[in-house]
Amino acid sequence: MIPEFEYAPYVWTSYGIFAMIMVWQVVQPIVKRRRLVTELREEQALEKGDYADDT
Amino acid sequence: MIWHKIKVGFHRLGSPPVFYRLCQVVAPWLWAGAAIFAAFGLYKALFVVPPDYQQSDSFRILYVHVPAAWQAMAGYLVMSILAIIALVWRIRTTEIMAMMGAPIGAAFTVICLATGSIWGRPMWGTWWAWDARLTSMLVLLFVYLGIMGLYAAFEDKRKGARVACILILVGLVNIPIIHFSVEWWTTLHQGSTINFFGESSMDPSMMAPLLWMVIATKLMFGAALLDRSRNELVEQDRRKGWVRAKLGISA
Repeated sequence: MIPEFEYAPYVWTSYGIFAMIMVWQVVQPIVKRRRLVTELREEQALEKGDYADDT
Repeated sequence: MIWHKIKVGFHRLGSPPVFYRLCQVVAPWLWAGAAIFAAFGLYKALFVVPPDYQQSDSFRILYVHVPAAWQAMAGYLVMSILAIIALVWRIRTTEIMAMMGAPIGAAFTVICLATGSIWGRPMWGTWWAWDARLTSMLVLLFVYLGIMGLYAAFEDKRKGARVACILILVGLVNIPIIHFSVEWWTTLHQGSTINFFGESSMDPSMMAPLLWMVIATKLMFGAALLDRSRNELVEQDRRKGWVRAKLGISA
């Protein structure tokens, strides 16, 4: 049940901006951490000479 | 004895693996607390609190605007304390935390400016005015972006952090300007509505959701700070054995 507000577009846009930025604060570190782990695994594979055959 | 234990515990936080573990354990609890407080706060703000007799429902915007504004300033104060510790004692984990506070503080400043602008359109009849409160808040955003840019500009992260820590302390002058701007100058922005040590001009029935949201934003800041600091630590120490051990990558 979504309440019907006066000035509804202003209210919901404000809450939407807040929610989007907060979700980004949660998601950004998770995405970055996954990228870091992937990079480190690739570096490790290169150090071991374990090259992926992608030709 | 207890003091000694606290001191030793504090010093141990300077150790990257210990700090990493702390971030890993504490951050999820902070996120969980933030979610609970925000859920209560948003529910009360949107479903329970009655409309304001003058502003009608547009006043509900303050439940995200005010906590974001307070957190943007409180986050800067936290960064300033961390910057002093980093400059005096050269603790790397503290340097990292001071640097990682900037994007989070910038995010809260953007929320504050955007929601303030959206509220201003129906209430003031304009999206923006170059009044002292709004302008000093915009300056805070530029300071946050400046800190992020300066830190990113250095290849040597420790040198970049030290220079950015000095910029943090220089930018600290803006915080009292933001706070007192509504008293020092005639502004379109209203004066303080909420007074913790005196009588607030806000009705008590409207106060509870604000307190829930204020606590939620504090916890969000703490959680995001620990998450980002943990990643930055891993990025800086990516060649070290403890990182590979923690991430389950054999050296």
